[in-house]
Amino acid sequence: MSYGEKHIGETLLKVDNITLAFGGVKALSDISFEIRKHEILAIIGPNGAGKTSMLNVINGFYHPQQGRIEFRGVERRAMRPHLAARQGIARTFQNVALFKGMSTLDNIMTGRTLKMKSNIFQQAIYWGANQREEIAHREVVEKIIDFLEIEAIRKTPVGRLPYGLQKRVELARALAMEPDLLLLDEPMAGMNVEEKEDMCRFVLDVNDEFGTTIALIEHDMGVVMDISDRVVVLDYGRKLADGTPAVVRANQDVIDAYLGVSH
Amino acid sequence: MLYREAGQFKTSYSADQSIFPIRQDRIALVLFGLVAVLAVPALASNYFLETIFVPFLVFAMAAIGLNILTGYCGQLSLGTGGFMACGAFFSYKLAIAFPDLHIIVVFLLAGFGTAAVGVLFGVPSLRIKGFYLAVATLAAQFFLVWVFNKFGWWTNYSPSGVISAPPREIFPGFAVTGAQADPITKYLFLLAFVALLALMAKNLVRSSIGRSWMAIRDMDIAAEIIGIRPLWAKLSAFAVSSFYIGIAGALWAFVYTGSVEALAFQIDRSFQVLFMVIIGGLGSILGSFLGAAFIVLLPILLNNAPGLLGLRISVELISHLEFMIFGGLIIFFLIVEPHGLARLWQIGKEKLRLWPFPY
Ligand SMILES: Nc1ncnc2c1ncn2[C@@H]1O[C@H](COP(=O)(O)OP(=O)(O)O)[C@@H](O)[C@H]1O
Ligand SMILES: [Mg+2]
Repeated sequence: MSYGEKHIGETLLKVDNITLAFGGVKALSDISFEIRKHEILAIIGPNGAGKTSMLNVINGFYHPQQGRIEFRGVERRAMRPHLAARQGIARTFQNVALFKGMSTLDNIMTGRTLKMKSNIFQQAIYWGANQREEIAHREVVEKIIDFLEIEAIRKTPVGRLPYGLQKRVELARALAMEPDLLLLDEPMAGMNVEEKEDMCRFVLDVNDEFGTTIALIEHDMGVVMDISDRVVVLDYGRKLADGTPAVVRANQDVIDAYLGVSH
Repeated sequence: MLYREAGQFKTSYSADQSIFPIRQDRIALVLFGLVAVLAVPALASNYFLETIFVPFLVFAMAAIGLNILTGYCGQLSLGTGGFMACGAFFSYKLAIAFPDLHIIVVFLLAGFGTAAVGVLFGVPSLRIKGFYLAVATLAAQFFLVWVFNKFGWWTNYSPSGVISAPPREIFPGFAVTGAQADPITKYLFLLAFVALLALMAKNLVRSSIGRSWMAIRDMDIAAEIIGIRPLWAKLSAFAVSSFYIGIAGALWAFVYTGSVEALAFQIDRSFQVLFMVIIGGLGSILGSFLGAAFIVLLPILLNNAPGLLGLRISVELISHLEFMIFGGLIIFFLIVEPHGLARLWQIGKEKLRLWPFPY
């Protein structure tokens, strides 16, 4: 189901003049940018630039003091994260946020929660409607497990997995939601070269095969230049630049503030 | 070589998702069921049925209830006694007001009523966690016992505050409550009823609602981003948990003791069930049974073992010993093995699977 020639479409999500402050600290000042359908957008910037805060605003964790967010052409104000999930926004965290007491399989199955319809009595009886539903969703989850090559750890409690695999399971859980917009907070942080390559490949494949729009935060400039269609650069809560990797790389402000300095 | 899953390949997801995927477990379960249904009633005296098997099953039901809330959903509760009291008094009022209502319907309705009360007292869990929630449920505990003690309406104005279960039959001719009820009938009824409800609890925890509970327990923020509403997950856990605990309270009053007062459901009852859950294993239906068995059997063992060994120990010392052993075990399980006896059982099985090779 390849898209072949990639077709970046109209605006999926638009943030407009977002300002977010914690007490006196302005984490985001007057930020505007957009995320377009089917693209991979990278958000870069030094530590503390406000990248994670930006995802938290999109995701409904933080409520900005100013600004508006438009998702699929509909403006929204403050919302809870579970409503963002309902609208088709999934994400992973900078520090892995898996359900430690559950197996890989169950973690990924939780991603299907919103799509499961059996009521509590059907679930108590199990046989019949609920079992059919469990099996149907298990099949979807198994496809994701194959896709991310984690068959061998299906039944392993996630707490016992190495860090790189935990990140992969977290991606699997987000994919199980079949999101329209996938937010990835430093998906390759703390990984070795091989794991990074795998993760890059998965991100590209997800974008390509399912047409999922992806916004990701990443520090490794090589990775960013390789896989992203556009880049937004943040620094001290301000937007420095916004454009294709080539344009951003040539921007003098960006070179001064970020690229020039080694991190 | 006896306990192996080797060669038993799952060819479908439904086979892989079954409760007992390993054949030896299924065989063991059938054997266990035969012993429980045939051997126990045939061999155990009425005294043993009334003092061990009946309370064991009632406690197991309460432990399943608390385990759903605390073990699966991570919400600590000290209100178990209060919710058991709800089940006991609700079923008493129902049974008296509607003498024609079948006793199982009475128990189920009492369970639903207790579920509603549980939801009410679960509301604070939306704002507070851990220790503070435990204190809030403690308030529920004291409040509920006070209500049933204070207002004579609940006991039909019995001067002693004690309610006596009216006689009721499960099938014509087979009384399960009242003075005429035969211990074997009581036991078999409880066995079937508790087994059925335990199976339903197991079904819930292996379905989407159970995964939502565990997600909230393990990381509520991550649960929310995948669309689980904390409100719904927590309150449904309170409801289901209270349903089971309410029925346990009803069984306690009607089938186990036959007559009861509100003071039977004080805070020590809450702790007793909490200890069962901790010792048996947080987040395990099997553990709820193991914990209940352990706590029912330990005092009996302590009372009889010294005599059998030819030792003379005073009654007081025995009750002190009981407390010390419980205390030590609670600390052990909380620190070393939070998944309790159920986990030890599983480790034992894993060892057996590898046997005779150590690794
Ligand atoms: N919940 C919070 N409370 C207070 N300050 C916060 C909070 N979240 C983020 N900040 C502050 O906002 C700024 C941006 O943080 P963050 O978005 O995490 O940066 P990045 O992800 O780019 O490293 C930092 O100064 C951080 O201390
Ligand atoms: Mg960050």
